[in-house]
Amino acid sequence: MSETVPAPAPGPTGVIHDIGYRHYDGPRLGRGSALAALIVHSLRGVFGLGRTARAKIMPFLLAGVMMLPAVVSIAVMAMIKRPGLSYPSYAVTMQAVLAVFLAAQSPYLVAPDLRFRVLPLYLSRPVKTGDYVAAKLAAMAIALFLLVAVPLTTLYVGELLIDLPGPPHTHDYFAALATSVVYAVLLASVGVALASFTPRRGLGVASVIAIYLLSSAISAVLVGVLFSVSRDSAAAWAWLINPFFLVDAVQVWLFGTSPNNDGGYPPGAGGPVAAVAVLAVVALCVTALVLRYRKAASS
Amino acid sequence: MTILATEGLTKRFPRVTALDRLTVSAGSGVTGLVGANGAGKSTLIKILLGLLPPTEGSATVLGLDPATRSLDIRRAVGYMPEHDCLPPDMSATEFTVHMAQMSGLPRSAARERAADTLRHVGLYEERYRPIGGYSTGMRQRVKLAQALVHDPQVVFLDEPTNGLDPQGRDDMLALIRRIGTEFGISVVVTSHLLGELERVCDHVIVIDGGRLLRSSSIGEFTQATTSITVEVEEGTERLAELLTAAGRQVTLHGRLLTVEAGSPDTFDIVRDAVCDLDLSLVRLEQGRHRIEDVFREEASHV
Repeated sequence: MSETVPAPAPGPTGVIHDIGYRHYDGPRLGRGSALAALIVHSLRGVFGLGRTARAKIMPFLLAGVMMLPAVVSIAVMAMIKRPGLSYPSYAVTMQAVLAVFLAAQSPYLVAPDLRFRVLPLYLSRPVKTGDYVAAKLAAMAIALFLLVAVPLTTLYVGELLIDLPGPPHTHDYFAALATSVVYAVLLASVGVALASFTPRRGLGVASVIAIYLLSSAISAVLVGVLFSVSRDSAAAWAWLINPFFLVDAVQVWLFGTSPNNDGGYPPGAGGPVAAVAVLAVVALCVTALVLRYRKAASS
Repeated sequence: MTILATEGLTKRFPRVTALDRLTVSAGSGVTGLVGANGAGKSTLIKILLGLLPPTEGSATVLGLDPATRSLDIRRAVGYMPEHDCLPPDMSATEFTVHMAQMSGLPRSAARERAADTLRHVGLYEERYRPIGGYSTGMRQRVKLAQALVHDPQVVFLDEPTNGLDPQGRDDMLALIRRIGTEFGISVVVTSHLLGELERVCDHVIVIDGGRLLRSSSIGEFTQATTSITVEVEEGTERLAELLTAAGRQVTLHGRLLTVEAGSPDTFDIVRDAVCDLDLSLVRLEQGRHRIEDVFREEASHV
């Protein structure tokens, strides 16, 4: 860059010099800052910030839809003085929107780097393969957390301002906030892992949405069939096939909230089993991702 | 200063041996790495960056071992891959800033360096537009910029002139020469076009089938030979016949004749022959080796 250099007194002043190539002797930060830069870059990408207007439509539309129940609930609370949608049921109620967001945006995080072969450039920088995977997972998890936490917080602020009779549902709010972290981590690992196996965005979107539809359909059919033959305890287990009810069962176990399905989850072992299942799925997906990228790095 | 050295470096893939006991070293300046497609150039670069483990042997880059210090190496090295590697929906500025940050530069420094570097590689107003709309020449410049943005000590350029038109090729070669001299950054540049490297390199390493054919300074490659190169407007064959009849060893290279100069009077004989045949002489000069000749000779010996 050309610079205005104040010349010594006898010469002309304020001359613009092209001073040629300059070496950089400033600070060089470590892996941590590169990781942070990649998380921020990916998070912006998920919401289409710094991209074309078309890339912003889907994420902001879905984020808007996620806000609707909060806004409506606040209006209900203000006008008829009755509580709106409960905090622990927010994510389960909006599961289709979250699933669509996950399907639409997780391929955006990983597919272009594979398709346009940007990955070798990342790997020639001072970061490890694991850092890349961690950054992409973190970006998706933060995006999903924001998607749930922002409406929840809006709703809570609304509740405090309207000041309904009785104490505010502070415990429920924090329970839901903590659970949304679990949702974010589970959904992000599944979505990013599935999306990373194809460089084609369309295929990524289709595979994520297919897994959600399959699991929720299998779960619903099994629950229906088992209920009809009066195997109620087996039906309670069948709910857990749907990832959203799986996390809800963890929420019920950890925070004692009321279940958001019909008939509740298996008593006793249900909660711990659900928690272990969540951890197992996350571990499986992260392992798959690390193996996937280790292979991509050496090819 | 030795920027890279390998010792018995071998890389075997399940079906193919990409590098076979390769022992080379390169100093600062511009080093050309020459070989046909599949000679092992890209594999060598990947091992030097620590992206691939070698099967046998060892390597060092700037005195560091890629097997254990790959992060330190990558902090001090820039890499421009052979293939396309640019996201189409970002602008060159944004992408270069991001890549600088990935190398550990703070954001403000990254912005400044990116602007500087893009100007040095010759991208001006168009750097704010998405890369998807760029020509091949502009893409190559962005690829070069991202390799230079963190001010490395060494850059590895893999086939930087690939897909460029003659003008773009000249510009790129001039830029590589500037990087090696004016910028003070050592360059390792691969190519399968020897003529290109002749113009920019200080040192050339020729590999073939993963083995070292030759490694020496450009001067040794292109030293004067004992032959004379003659070019006439037409009647090249008649001249060749006459010179052969005079007992000279003559070879035809397209429009050019190479005559082995056994003694100083060969110049006179050529001149007289041209006069006798009444031809228009275009050129009469001392022959010089070109890297191609060396490559051809050595390849035939092996």
